[in-house]
Amino acid sequence: MRERILEGKGVTKSFGGLMAIHKVDFYLNEGEIVGLIGPNGAGKTTLFNVISGIYPLDEGELFFNGTSISSLKPFEICRLGIGRTFQIVRPFLKMTCLENILIGLIGRGERQKHLREKKKEARFYLEFVGLKGRENSVAKDLTLIEKKRLEMARALATNPKLLLLDEVLAGLNPSEILQALELIHIIRSQLRVTIFWIEHVMGAMMKASDRIIVLNQGEKIKEGKPEEIVSDPQVIEAYLGESNA
Amino acid sequence: MVFSSWRPIKQAMERAGFMKFWIFIPLIFLTLFFPFFLSQYWLHVMIISLFYVMMASSWNLIAGYTGQISFAHAAFAGVGAYVSGMLAVNMGIPAWLGILIGTSIAGLLGLGLGYLCIRMGGIYLSLTTLGFSEILRIIITNEDRWTRGTMGLQIPGFFIEYSKMSYYFLFLIVSVFFLWVIYRLIHSEMGLSFRAVLNDELAASSSGIDTIRVRILAFTISSAMAGMAGGLYGHYLMLITPDIPSLGQMFLVLAMAVIGGMGSFIGPILGAFILEILSEYIRIYGEYHVLLFGLVALGMARFAPEGIMGLLEKRWRLRKIS
Amino acid sequence: MAEFLMYLTNGLVMGVINAISAIGVSLVVGIMRVINFAHGELYIFAGYFSYHLSLTFGLSPILAMPLSVIFVFLMGILMERFLIRPTYGDEMYSLIITFVLSIILQNIALLIFGPYPNKPPTLISGATSLFGLFHYGNQRLLSFIISIAILLSVFYLIKRTWFGKSVRAISQDREMASLMGIDHLKINMLSFGLGAALAGAAGVIIAPIFPVTPTGSSAISLTAFVVVVLGGMGSLKGCVVGGLILGILENLGAAYISTMYRHIFGFIILILVLVFRPWGLFGQRT
Repeated sequence: MRERILEGKGVTKSFGGLMAIHKVDFYLNEGEIVGLIGPNGAGKTTLFNVISGIYPLDEGELFFNGTSISSLKPFEICRLGIGRTFQIVRPFLKMTCLENILIGLIGRGERQKHLREKKKEARFYLEFVGLKGRENSVAKDLTLIEKKRLEMARALATNPKLLLLDEVLAGLNPSEILQALELIHIIRSQLRVTIFWIEHVMGAMMKASDRIIVLNQGEKIKEGKPEEIVSDPQVIEAYLGESNA
Repeated sequence: MVFSSWRPIKQAMERAGFMKFWIFIPLIFLTLFFPFFLSQYWLHVMIISLFYVMMASSWNLIAGYTGQISFAHAAFAGVGAYVSGMLAVNMGIPAWLGILIGTSIAGLLGLGLGYLCIRMGGIYLSLTTLGFSEILRIIITNEDRWTRGTMGLQIPGFFIEYSKMSYYFLFLIVSVFFLWVIYRLIHSEMGLSFRAVLNDELAASSSGIDTIRVRILAFTISSAMAGMAGGLYGHYLMLITPDIPSLGQMFLVLAMAVIGGMGSFIGPILGAFILEILSEYIRIYGEYHVLLFGLVALGMARFAPEGIMGLLEKRWRLRKIS
Repeated sequence: MAEFLMYLTNGLVMGVINAISAIGVSLVVGIMRVINFAHGELYIFAGYFSYHLSLTFGLSPILAMPLSVIFVFLMGILMERFLIRPTYGDEMYSLIITFVLSIILQNIALLIFGPYPNKPPTLISGATSLFGLFHYGNQRLLSFIISIAILLSVFYLIKRTWFGKSVRAISQDREMASLMGIDHLKINMLSFGLGAALAGAAGVIIAPIFPVTPTGSSAISLTAFVVVVLGGMGSLKGCVVGGLILGILENLGAAYISTMYRHIFGFIILILVLVFRPWGLFGQRT
């Protein structure tokens, strides 16, 4: 029986008059790769923002490894073990790749290690994501996929137990997508990180995920194995409804 | 070829945390040539420039490195000057002790203000520091029983015997000390955190950086530095007026950092010297230097936000390519 | 008692003028996340324009006042188009630019208008008896009425017109608004201009009562900012309530406690708000 690493009950968040997510219940087991899908505006990124502490929730509860995280600040949630990447990639543009990853290490809040040791560990993550040799390149000079790798490395450097990936595959060509999927697979198996990811590239997501959660207009409408989801009429209608509108 | 033998020395110095090697050349000029070859007038200009180096560099620490625009920098200098000055006049406390007390009070005020506003965001800090600056000026102007208001308060100097040369070396030593502190800070983990907060506060926070603590720390250090600079300035001029904590002074400091190059280490130093020396020349024609600097600063902020340092670096980079 | 009522009335008159000035700031902050530090200077410029148009060019005040507001409106549009627009997304640079601009404008005002206080002619002279208790200047009463009229117009603008609806949409959720096809750039420019115009309006209304000087501009900006923080960023209702509270407190404080420290009450309010209720009276808790 796997531990539930992340659990949300009745999570609700609205902005002004608009309800972004409404009483969403969900959970993730340790070691799973769970996909979060839904048409545009369904509330996926909002859910991630609530989990990572960027928005406070209006109602409901959130637990990470049994600890309530509903009222914690983003940096506290990160230190507890939840890392994330962003829909529009956000590396520190004016800093070098090594410095970007160092921030992730510094963010752990460990005072003891010397900067020199941290630099060594940063180089490990740099290599892990395939950016070896780019240590002194400034982030703004990187290509899109390189920036995504960098952001991934920075998130990994925070030593997360759970990683929230927001549309990492967006803007990548097919061969880059394969590379990214391989990386995600290695992250789960080698670094033992649970993964919760938002994606629109359906084929990739269905192949790589253990389980899928579907949101539509702020509510969870379905959850289950990829094969079940793909053929579910409610899910298909939610997406069709979007393309008609 | 000559320089290859310098390398081990250079590496040793860099490891010891001293500034890059080639900065020693102007430093030699400053310490050995200037004080003995400049006239009293130009020595005075140098001392004032060094005051602005302290002010612009410490303001750059928060504005250029953590992205927080504070308008209370001159006010903190005023705190340092008036606390130290009034302690000297009313209680006979020696200047060096007065300055230390003034620095601490400025730092504490910075901590308090920072804690109040930084939680709420950059705009609130700018507004509150603006308000603080104005209120301080009003209080100093009105409480003239203690401060002598706009007429100015005469205070004893730092040294018992007045000597421009002594003040020059005093200011030089403290400036170098400030720059050393700033340099070490920027190249430490804390410095990386500063820059992360500057680049993208949300991403920094999501990566585990306590951005509020980082910003409050930068603000506190910077206000203490302004307090010390103000204290020294007051004891040099031996006459302190509400001009010190005024928005006009604040503007000069800001202009020096912006024109010199915010976010770079040398930028504010350059800006301080250039603007101070220029204003001496312009003053011959009238008090137009503020307007002129304003226009230049506006132009820089609009077209060349990295200041003179930025322009120089771009030129250098282009030359490397060709 | 009569004295107290008189100070209270002063407070109300100043309060609505504060409110107009503050709305000028709040509008721009709400939409563009930009604080216009040159606000006080625009206010002063309008006062000076009004003075010179009336006295130097001999225009009737009824023409001079709106004309001055229009000049300042145009200044605002130019500022937005050429200085603020390129700094979008970078809060820091817009602060620097508007601050430097305020210093530049202050110095230009000193050069062109001179450091002496100037008072444009009043529209009405004489005084009316209020509540049968004291005589109150007619010009002030007129200012009060004009201010209320302006406030009502602004509220109508925001609630009913296309412009107002776009403004509200953008300040609630920028992305949504652009998805709905609202022309950001035009709205930003018009809002900034409107903000400047409101500063100018406040300036021309006050000028016949209290003379304008170039050095008073920082205090004016500060007062507007305090009202915005007190009322809550982005809340127009808050500007009115905040403006009235500040106006009354400042006048009562100046009368009963100390005239020299008039502006300190504003600062104290600012600190109290930040400590106890940073989002202001009507602001959104973020």
